[in-house]
This record gives sequence, structure tokens and C-alpha cells, in this order.
Amino acid sequence: MKVKINNREYEFDHEISILDATKNAHIKIPTLCYSEKLEPFGSCRLCSVEIKGERTLKPACVTKITDGMEIFTHSQRVRKTRKTIMELIIASHGISCNLNCLTCSKSGSCEIKEVAEEIGVTEIRVPPISNGLSEDQSSYSIVREPQKCIVCNRCVRKCSEVQSVNILTIANRGPDTYVTTFMDKGMGNVDCTNCGQCILECPTGALHEVYQMDQVWAALSDESKFVIVQTAPAVRVAISEEFDAEPGKIATKQMVAGLRLLGFDKVFDTNFAADLTIMEEANEFLERFKNNGKLPLFTSCSPGWVKFLEHNYPEFIDNLSSCKSPQQMFGAIAKTYYANKLGISKEDMVVVSVMPCTAKKFERVRPEMKGDVDYVLTTRELAKMFKLAGIDLLNVPPEEYDEPLGISSGAGAIFGATGGVMEAALRTAYEVITGEELEKLDFEAVRGIKGIKEATVEIDGINLKVAIVNGLGNARKVLEMIKSGEKEYQFVEFMACPGGCIGGGGQPIPTNKEIILKRMQAIYEIDRSLPIRKSHENPAIKTLYEEFLEEPLSEKSHELLHTTYVARS
Amino acid sequence: MERIFLKKDLGKSLEEYDFPGLKNVFKMQPQQVISKIKESGLRGRGGAGFPTGIKWETVLSIEDDTKFIICNADEGEPGTFKDRFLLENLPFKVLEGIIISGYATGSKYGYIYIRGEYVEAIKIVKKAIEKLYEKNILGENILNSDFSFDLKLVRGAGAYVCGDETSLINSIEGDRGKSRIKPPLPVFEGLYGKPTVVNNVETLAAAAEIMNYDNNPYSEMGTEKSRGTKLVSISGDVNKPGVYEVEFGKLTVRDIVQELAGGVKGEKIGFVIPGGISTEILTEEELDVPYTYENLQKMGSNIGSGGMIVVSSQRNYLEIVKNVSDFFRDETCGTCFPCREGNKNISKIVSDIYKRGYPTSKDIEIISDIQYAVSSAARCGFGESSLNLILSLFEKFYTKKVEV
Repeated sequence: MKVKINNREYEFDHEISILDATKNAHIKIPTLCYSEKLEPFGSCRLCSVEIKGERTLKPACVTKITDGMEIFTHSQRVRKTRKTIMELIIASHGISCNLNCLTCSKSGSCEIKEVAEEIGVTEIRVPPISNGLSEDQSSYSIVREPQKCIVCNRCVRKCSEVQSVNILTIANRGPDTYVTTFMDKGMGNVDCTNCGQCILECPTGALHEVYQMDQVWAALSDESKFVIVQTAPAVRVAISEEFDAEPGKIATKQMVAGLRLLGFDKVFDTNFAADLTIMEEANEFLERFKNNGKLPLFTSCSPGWVKFLEHNYPEFIDNLSSCKSPQQMFGAIAKTYYANKLGISKEDMVVVSVMPCTAKKFERVRPEMKGDVDYVLTTRELAKMFKLAGIDLLNVPPEEYDEPLGISSGAGAIFGATGGVMEAALRTAYEVITGEELEKLDFEAVRGIKGIKEATVEIDGINLKVAIVNGLGNARKVLEMIKSGEKEYQFVEFMACPGGCIGGGGQPIPTNKEIILKRMQAIYEIDRSLPIRKSHENPAIKTLYEEFLEEPLSEKSHELLHTTYVARS
Repeated sequence: MERIFLKKDLGKSLEEYDFPGLKNVFKMQPQQVISKIKESGLRGRGGAGFPTGIKWETVLSIEDDTKFIICNADEGEPGTFKDRFLLENLPFKVLEGIIISGYATGSKYGYIYIRGEYVEAIKIVKKAIEKLYEKNILGENILNSDFSFDLKLVRGAGAYVCGDETSLINSIEGDRGKSRIKPPLPVFEGLYGKPTVVNNVETLAAAAEIMNYDNNPYSEMGTEKSRGTKLVSISGDVNKPGVYEVEFGKLTVRDIVQELAGGVKGEKIGFVIPGGISTEILTEEELDVPYTYENLQKMGSNIGSGGMIVVSSQRNYLEIVKNVSDFFRDETCGTCFPCREGNKNISKIVSDIYKRGYPTSKDIEIISDIQYAVSSAARCGFGESSLNLILSLFEKFYTKKVEV
């Protein structure tokens, strides 16, 4: 089919949207309510284009090309219309002295600013109109600032279309249209999983994490406190983006150095705890498998996923691994084993986590494991702290993690990507069962960003059926299939966020498919580069069991490293 | 009421009314019915003026077991009350029109969506539907024909925007009353994704009337492009407000105001809103325009829904503009940005103008830019037309007069 875009002819072999057609022609059309992963919605109308013969402009995102169509993407009428709409959007966004760009959570990643520049807005002739709505601070993980909301629906659609969680909705009509939660109860009082995907989607500063930077600064300046930090696997492959590096740049050692510069007494690695998780979880799986325990076993590392299951599928609670997540295992070990080693009291130790995840902020306060971790920072928050301290992250001389809780294997590192937990567990399970060394460590079948992956793994003559699921919408699909008997697995890895932790709600913005893929490559590169790639070969883990825990699933392990769940429906 | 076309059945009870149009229709093939409607030149009476026969033909041509007819009785345009008049006085004719359109398009299910504020009309139509079921004019094998048709009344929750056909469909489905993206048009994918005809009350009543006759007197009335008659509801500063049936082209807007509505109450006419508050105003000097689609369009305005509002020169025009802009601010569905934010901002600007007593040239510039953007890029007809009256009034009365 032939179309003319700005008087040039282009040919397409199938029906696509005008927006996609212009992308192919390397013409950028501004959008705000459009998002690659979501159904086109056609509400911001910034992508409106002129089509010859049409009375009104047509939104490029929802209008399909037809043969012979003549499209003008930046005509006088289009430019004038876009400019006025943009002015109106900015006025609706409540920019004022109290709410200006400088203090905004999205000051460095503001889409409104970007689009306004594309459109060439030079003045705002209409004064801001505030919607008068107040902040929603009911959640441990996510803050909503509805005054900044432009009602583009992207958070609502992400929560519904991608995550199938549906806690956000549109209420009222006309100027009173606003985004809210069920019955206005607030994010903390509805079935929110705290995954933070809404934050990634929000083009304005209307959604951000609950900040704990101030508490961490206070702990760091309190001399009576011994402050240690753990960093999750997915943080190291993303934080450099906040310093304008190409996505996928690994900055592990610079980050370690930066954390020391901030004043942390010890800099440790969640990857260590990930290895520990594998020891416990792989053995838990083997035990259930041998003793006809509850299968399939579901992983429990992702607190967004866990809460999703507790709300929506409480009948599957016994399928969840009783293992705490690596974050919580780390805290539990730090405040017992490590504190004892140093001879300092639990009360004087502050454990800070740096996570790609907003749900970790909620997990920290779950009564089942309260006290393991004191504060959780997202990747974005840590970047803000580095900036505040004047740390030029990419140019800091690299340093190594502290020992022993900073020693980890490649298996721990791959926890950051979807499929990583499964692969790490398989590496260990294989060797524990067979007693033989695994020749090929890379389980390619469980890698990649496909939403639902399946594999059959042969270990010692037994065919294990496993699945890897990322994104809660996919989790719902898989659970329904298991429920109906359509699918049968022995072991399933679930991650709340698309792509796994590298696509987490606490990661740098933008986090899109292309960027997630680059972060994923970096994760596997880290794994390949490490001398130890199996959790059970991590010497620090071996020592931990020898000195303290005795063996996986021991009484001590159960006390410190395992947890319980609650039905929330 | 000037009675031309619908006169003889006015106020008839079911005992007196014997569904002549419907009986005729059952002797015909659906395509023949459509041809007759096409021949009559009937255009949609909701405001957009789309040819009714073509709409029906499109739905007839789609093969699908399930198709729907919706009668849009969500009349909410301020100053427009002709549908209410029909629902309350000629309910059987409206229902007859719905059944006829069902027959003509191969649809077995119909909905009549009445705005919630029309309490009396809802009562009357509800009772009428019950009676039609009793008399087998609705239900299985209507009047012993092969045709079966079920009709359900849906009460609107009170949103003006549900007059937009896609919003109305969303509302029937239980969703928010907000417009859908078009395409797909409802004739292809409407209610529950099925081919759907949405017709205005007046359109369907006229269709029933057209089917009464062996010949086609309707097509002989009016002008080439505006055929038949139109119900005009007149309100405002006139001596005899009410609903009048007007043959297109026979009278000018001034005639309608002077002769039918008894002339202006007050010193003299300031301006006339010819077709409901989403149409551009006509000043006193512009009233000698024949009442037809084409002539009003030439004047930069529109027949709209036929809701004519006459404003005396003694009125405070800014107060009227303020009312209109507040109405649109409150009634936009809030989904698309230009309409939501445009109407919100205009209402604020107008409110400032009202307080001040006059607009500045900067106000006019902003209003005109916002109108330009909203009418170019809004998602549905509501936004496209919401600022017409306001801008036209400022252009005609204030552009040259006021400068600061």
C-alpha cells in the first residue's frame, strides 16, 4: 500500500498505524498517552496529523494507513493545534512555585519537558489550574501526587493491560476527571502489589517511590551506627544510565566505590544472599520433589509477585517457596551471623538495601520478617544520593565488595534477569542430585524476555518441567492454566516486572524493551566473567553453613531464612 | 405546534394507533424499505445529519447473527426538547420506527436509551413497550410475521456526552460514558462489538411516518439537500416557546421566531442560537436565512439538533457565554486532552471576562486558538463543536469593539 508522508511516497506491505508508518520514514511525531507496550489510546491528541480530504486532524496512534493516503505530519494546522494542546497540558499540570520542575521526582526524566521542546512551546498563555487533590501517602512503596497528573491513563493501562492488577482507575468526568484507586482508598489500602510499573510509565512526576534517602543520610551521619549496604544484581547494570551512560554499561565496581564515598561502613552484595537463596530453595525443591510435597514450587524472590498471589490466588500459597527473598535473607544474616562476628549489637547495625524494586520497600515492613532490613533505596534514589554527594560515578576508581557478604557467584548475578533464579537453581539442583559436575552452565531455554518461557530439563533421568514467567499479567495466565490443569510444572519462577528485576519499578526512567535487553546482556556478561558461577561453590556460603547454619533447611535456616504468607483476598 | 407531517397521530392511544408504517413494511423486503428511506432523503436528526438510508444499508449489508438498533433519546443539548415532545406525545410512532429499522437492517434487538432526567418520558415509553409486547408488536413473530424483535429501555445516568453514539454504546455496556475511537464506526462494530444503528428519536419517528405512505410525500417537501420537515424546539426570549414542525426551506429563521414563536420578548432580538448550544450564533441581521442545512452552513452555523434559543438584546451576553462554557466544562467526558483541558480553560477565561465585563484582545486570541485546536483534534463531536457558540459570539460582538 502506498502512502504519501509530507509529499514523499512510501510503500508498506500491510496495514499499520500512521504513527508506525512515520517512524519507518524516520519522522518523529510527539506523543504523550502512547506507550509501546500498551494499546493505543488516542487521548492526548498530540500525535494528530493532517490527512488530505479529512475535515479534522486524525491521531496517528490509532489511525491506520490506507492506500493512497496523503499525510502531513507537521503542517501549519498541525503545529498550531499541537502547540495549543501542549500549553493546555502544561497548565493542567499545575506548574507553580510550589510544584516546579526543580523539586520534581521526574526532573531528570520528564516527558512533558521533552515533548514541549519537540513541539516548540515558547509561552504558556493560560495560568495553571490546580485540581486541588492531595498526595496519596498511604503506601509503603509508592507516592501519588495527583496535582501533577495529566490523566494520560498510562498508569491505569499499565496496571491493567500488562500487570492485570487493576488497582488504578479513572473517576469522575470533565475537569474533575482524575486517576484514583478503588473508592479513593489510596495505594496502600487496595490490592496494589507495589511493583512500581506505574511509576515507570508515568510521563510526569505524579507517581514516585516512597523516598528513604533522608533516613539513610541520617543513619550515615550517626556515628553510633554501623551502616552496611547491599546492592541487588539488577542495580549495577542500570545505575550508570542515571549518569548518561549507554544502557547496559556495567558499573559494579564504581558503584561499590561510590557507596564507600557516601560513608557506608561495609559494602555488600545481595548476590551473596541470592546464592544463599539458591542453597535453600534448590534443597527445598528437592525435598518437596522426593517427599511428594506441594508442587509446582513457586519462587518467592519477587515481593510484588508474592503480594499478587496473596491477593488473587491464595489457594496457591502453599506452592510458594518458604524462602525469604535475597534482600531479607541478607538482612537476617547480617544482623545475626555478621553482627556476632563483629561483636556489635543488632540495634547498632543499620542495613540498607539498594534495589531495582519498589515492592522491596513494602517487603521490608512485612510483619513476618520485620527488622531484617532497615531502609530500601531504589536505583534512582541511590543515583540521586551519588549526585547530591558530588560523586562522578562513571569516573570513580573501581573498588571491590567487602567480605564475606560481598562474595558471590555468577548464579547470584543472574537473579537480576527473568529466568535467572531458575537457571541458578538448576545449576545447583543438577549437581546436588547427580553428584556430577554440570558441563554446560548456560540454560539458554530459560533466557530472554518472552513473558512466559517453558523448558524441560533432564536431571538424572528425570524430566523436570519448568516455567519462567515475568510480568503479573503473564503470572495470571500461567496460574489459570495450572488451575485448569492445562499445564503441569514442577518448578516455576515468577517475577512481577516485565524482564525481571532489570525491568523493575525502581529502575532508571525510561525503562523500555530495548533498554531491558541491554541490561539483560550485561547481566549475563557479568555471569560469564566470574570465576565462580554456581551458588554452592561460593566459598563464603560454604563458610556460612559451616560456621553458622549447618546445612540447608536446618533449624537455624528455617528460623532466619524462611517465612510465611497470608491470604489477602 | 405547526403540524405538517406527524400531525394526525399526535396524542393517539395504542387503541387508536394501528402501526400503519410497520404493517406496510412487513409487506416489503428490507432493501425495499431502505430504498424508500433513501428516496425520502431523510437525514439524521440528532445533529450530524448523516443520511439515514445509507446507515441502515451498511448494517443490512453486514452478515451477522446479532445486530443492534439503538434509539438515542439522550437529549441533553440545552434548549433542545423535541425528542421529549415525541416520546411523551407519540411514543408508539417512535417505537414503530425502531422496529422498522430493525426489520430493515436485519436486527433483532433494540435499545432505547433515554436520558435519566426525562422521568415522564421514561414512564410513558416503559408502559408503551409493555403494551407492545402484550399486543405482539414486540417479541416473537411480530403481527404473525417472520420477524421477531426485542426492545429494552435503558435509562441514562445523566451525562450529556452520552448523546455521542459511541459514548452511548459504552454506557449501555456499563462502561464510563466516554467516546470511543473511530474507526471502527458503530455500524461495523458497535454495541458489544456488533453492527449497530444508532438513530435519533426524531429520525425514527420520521422513518415510521415515511413508511405510512405508498408514495413518498416526505421527499417532495423541503429542498434538494434538506428534505422533509424538522422539529424545532424554541425557547428563550420568545412569546410562544414550544416545539414546531417546520418544512425545510419554507421559512427563514426570522419567520420561525416571529411567526411560529410569537416574536421576541423584550426590545429586540440580540442573537439566535439556531441549533442548540454547540452551534454558532446568528445576529439579528443574519436571521433572514432560509431554514435548511445548506443555508445555515453557508452562514457558518448549523441546524444542529433543532434547539433554537432566542436571546433578547437586553440580556447580558457574557452571562450566557459563561453558562454555556460552564456547561461544556462540566460535561466533557474528560478522556481527550484538548476537549477536557480546552473547555476547562475556556470556562476560566470566560469567567474572568464576565467578572471584568469585557474581553481583552488577548482573551479573544487565546479563545480562538483553543477553539481551533479543540475543533481540529478532539476525539468526538462534543469537543469538535463545544466552543462554536462561544467563539462566534465573541467574534460577532466583541472583536472590534473592545481593546485594552
